[in-house]
Amino acid sequence: MTPFDLVEPPSLGEALKLLEPDDSAVRPLAGGTALMLLMKSGFFRPKRLVSLRAAGERLARIRIEPNGELRIGAMVRLAALEWAPEVRRDFPVIGHTLRTLANVRVRNVATLGGHLAHADPHSDLPPVLIALGACLVLAGPRGERAVPVEGFATGHYETVCKGDELIVEATIPPLGRRRAAYAKCTTRSADDWPALGIAVAWDDDGAIRSPRIVLGAATERPTRLKAAEALIAGRTLDGALLTRAGEAAAEEADVVADARGSVSYKKQLVKVYVARALRAAGAGPAAP
Amino acid sequence: MSATRRIRFTLNGQAAAAEIGTHETLVEVLRDRFALFGARESCSQGLCGCCTVLVDGHAVSGCLFLAAAADGVKIQTIEGLASGERLDPVQEAFLECGAFQCGFCTPGFILMTRQLLDENPAPSEDEIRHYLSGNLCRCGAYPEIIEAVKLASHKVKSRTPGGAAP
Repeated sequence: MTPFDLVEPPSLGEALKLLEPDDSAVRPLAGGTALMLLMKSGFFRPKRLVSLRAAGERLARIRIEPNGELRIGAMVRLAALEWAPEVRRDFPVIGHTLRTLANVRVRNVATLGGHLAHADPHSDLPPVLIALGACLVLAGPRGERAVPVEGFATGHYETVCKGDELIVEATIPPLGRRRAAYAKCTTRSADDWPALGIAVAWDDDGAIRSPRIVLGAATERPTRLKAAEALIAGRTLDGALLTRAGEAAAEEADVVADARGSVSYKKQLVKVYVARALRAAGAGPAAP
Repeated sequence: MSATRRIRFTLNGQAAAAEIGTHETLVEVLRDRFALFGARESCSQGLCGCCTVLVDGHAVSGCLFLAAAADGVKIQTIEGLASGERLDPVQEAFLECGAFQCGFCTPGFILMTRQLLDENPAPSEDEIRHYLSGNLCRCGAYPEIIEAVKLASHKVKSRTPGGAAP
């Protein structure tokens, strides 16, 4: 790697001032696990990195609001999120998802904000956060704005976060009666990037209400499978519905081939894993 | 430009300081400034686990960790695990089970096992395999490694007050 200026502003406001949206060699630094790979390969040669390590308590905390909403600071390490007692209790799908994300050492360093801002389409959490209806709070020179995680990534490593903005925190509405699950498939080693990940969630009043089925990794960006969602809405899960939902999902999914599988192989995975994720969510206890 | 800086940290229980370049990784600094060669850069991508060190008790890949981020933290390397001549129970277990051949990956496996047992003193075989899935042993000593982790779990319990008898 080549030398660069490393600054560690003591507040979010200072950090925003140190960004230079028109200079791609100036970038924010969170845990650095992804950026380090880009720097070591020589793909990214920074002039200045703005470390958010000391940029304020708001970025570092996890808390449940009185209304049950979960707020996670952008600098919360993925392992801290995985082990947080309140997350394990109220949002078990998040801990379950994190347990299979990369490996222990990556989770010990990588942060939620970095995971989302990097916008690698193979990331595990975006599909889950979309299924749960999560939003991100972005801060910039004109103040703050909330954007849904659905629509945050616009393509490979591209997001709606502008060059002069930073992710401050993620907000996840209370699960309430929502059931949720995430199922992923890695086709090489267990800790490899997934070939696909499927997150599902729905409100359970005896029938399936407001379902979301979100496909990640196999598509250019995390994508809701709305035909499959419509198919299961208002119904109750049975074997025939699982099969039809899987088939509908595979039909509509715009999957892309890569080293982890061809299009036809991944379509088959979508069919199988949509059914698996739905079955897992249906089998687990609904939140009280 | 502030492309160099002085960092201070605790290294295996001792106060330490170093002049580093902002672009240097933790494993480079440990090897080049402190002659600690137990953490080795192998895959350079955080996949193999050979460069594992503990930062404030958490295992990290030293090859993906900026040395600058070590300012103010506690670092433990394989060299600091034994107490004098007395090996850590995890080290003992790896020796007793012959859980290595060439030994290149062993410091990483031992430090990962140390963190696993700190979090979960009695892991199941499935939990052990899952936890160590980010560490590679090219000699293929995996069966012995799994046995060593189980033995280490037993040793740790028997050394902990109130733990199970050996």
